[in-house]
Amino acid sequence: MSLKHSAKILFKDLRLGPRSPIFLFVIVMPVLMTVVIQLVFGGLFAAEPRLGIVDLGSSELIAQAKKLDGIRVTVVKDEATLKRMVEANDLDAGLVLQPGFDQAVRAGEKPTLGFYISGESLASNRIILSVTALELVRGVEGKPAPVEVTVKTAGDATALTISERLVPLLVFYALLIAAVFLTAFSFAEERERHTLSAVLVTPASIGDMLAAKGALGFGLAIVMSVITLALNGSLKGEALALVLALLVAALMLTEVGLIFGTAAKDSKGLFTLMKSTGILFMAPVFFYLFPGWPQWIAKLFPTWWIIDPVVGVAVRGETLGGIWWTLVVALGICVLLVPLIALTTSRMQST
Amino acid sequence: MDEVIRVESVAYSYNGTPAVDHISFEVGAGEVLGFLGPNGAGKTTTLKILIGLLPVQEGSVSILGMDIKKQRKEVQSRIGVCFEEKNLYEEMSAAENLRFFASLFGARDFDPVPLLERVGLPVERKDRVHNFSKGMKQRLMIARSLVNSPDILFLDEPTDGLDPVSSKAIRTLVTEEKARGGAVFLTTHDMMEADVLSDRVAFINEGKIAALDTPDNLKHQFGRRTVKVRYYEGDQLTEEELSLDEEGTAVRVEDIMAQRRVLDMHTEEATLEDIFIQLTGRRLD
Repeated sequence: MSLKHSAKILFKDLRLGPRSPIFLFVIVMPVLMTVVIQLVFGGLFAAEPRLGIVDLGSSELIAQAKKLDGIRVTVVKDEATLKRMVEANDLDAGLVLQPGFDQAVRAGEKPTLGFYISGESLASNRIILSVTALELVRGVEGKPAPVEVTVKTAGDATALTISERLVPLLVFYALLIAAVFLTAFSFAEERERHTLSAVLVTPASIGDMLAAKGALGFGLAIVMSVITLALNGSLKGEALALVLALLVAALMLTEVGLIFGTAAKDSKGLFTLMKSTGILFMAPVFFYLFPGWPQWIAKLFPTWWIIDPVVGVAVRGETLGGIWWTLVVALGICVLLVPLIALTTSRMQST
Repeated sequence: MDEVIRVESVAYSYNGTPAVDHISFEVGAGEVLGFLGPNGAGKTTTLKILIGLLPVQEGSVSILGMDIKKQRKEVQSRIGVCFEEKNLYEEMSAAENLRFFASLFGARDFDPVPLLERVGLPVERKDRVHNFSKGMKQRLMIARSLVNSPDILFLDEPTDGLDPVSSKAIRTLVTEEKARGGAVFLTTHDMMEADVLSDRVAFINEGKIAALDTPDNLKHQFGRRTVKVRYYEGDQLTEEELSLDEEGTAVRVEDIMAQRRVLDMHTEEATLEDIFIQLTGRRLD
């Protein structure tokens, strides 16, 4: 095998990438799915409540408001501007603090507090901002709250939100279509169009071709899975552990892509193969969506051993120490796949 | 003549079904060998074995003095192959195709323009091969097979279904390669093409070589030389075929010339197709 030849084939594929619908599909689909899920379940586009304040005096309420987490505070110069911004839904709500507001509150004079609400704002944002405004006024007044609120969590305190539970599905999808689908399709296409034969009668070998296709799928799988994690706000945890988990996952799926690519006679055969086996690959991710299912069943699927380390680090916040054993098993499966690649390649070459 | 291809008792079967059945032949430097046979006769399988795309199951193949089993990549670096299928990268331009393949042969600063000019393709075309006509694609495939200045050119049905202009361009290239001292292995089922281009032809049928010789020798050996005369007998036009190899033909021709009003007279020799049918009982197409 020659790295030089592999690099030339890979470079050719990368240059042709933008002209290939499959290549674009691999890049666009995970992003598109993330956007759809975030729109449906909130997250990426769920903006913080926006509060505008006009201070006609010099209230300390503004300084307190700016310290709040989860609320975006904008100081507006006059009431007319504030009203216009609220009407345009540039702000969810707006407060107008009259001159001497703080002193009047402290003196118990019950001053007027102008509070504009945008008709187009979310109901949840209006409630949050109303309550927050009252809390801020109470802070200015300097009196303790009239009641003591005890917070009790109903349900599983450690349970993941639906968006978080969908992260494994999205990441695995990104890995799957790049590492398996792109690798396999790219190879099957060379075979179907007979360009594989043209390359194989040059000094480049079948090993060079497999390495190039593998590198293409592997590299894109890593890139797309990182982008998907970032878009879902899950690019966190121990970086080394996450990188290792993604590398092993991409490796195993790339090997599967090479097996599919060399086993399928053409792209039609490849689609049939993928459709008939796809559910076996995706099965473990459904166990994350439905935590009530017996989780040991998920471990029977080889792909669980590559999904769980990624989820462990990115979603559950585990470290390398918590996932190393799973990665070792996954690497063992990767080693077992190598003879299968050799077998399907050898069968392909004799036909 | 130096031997550049030597095939000894090569056999190949697909799942037990023989495709090539113990064939032997050799090709010399500067020689064009036409490999003639109908579809499914074993031409392409033989070619694939010679270029290293199929393994040698039985027998031995030596290309440029190298064993194809042991030195496949060394052999492939010195041969050029033009396939029957149009296997170009259709999303690339002609020049991009040539540059890519030249890079696999290790060529640096490869200039595709001379090759494109040689096969008669417009060098200024930057559009994708996808938009090319069949003839243009075939000419580009020939150009691709020449990017490494090969010692042996393998052509699989190079003019099949092409327009006369493209066919002529390809035939000219084969002649040029031969003149340059390169050997050409040409598989075809077009006996006219084989007759015109080949120094020797091999007839392959059901995986076996039925005959192998120069076209002239085959015609002399297996063909029947005749003279066909058309003349008027009274008002009626009559046609008579006389064998040139039989006694009495000269006397009969003299008699016709003296006694009859001859319309035309011409000699006829057997075509390679006639000989193929005679030897195998099958037609070429």
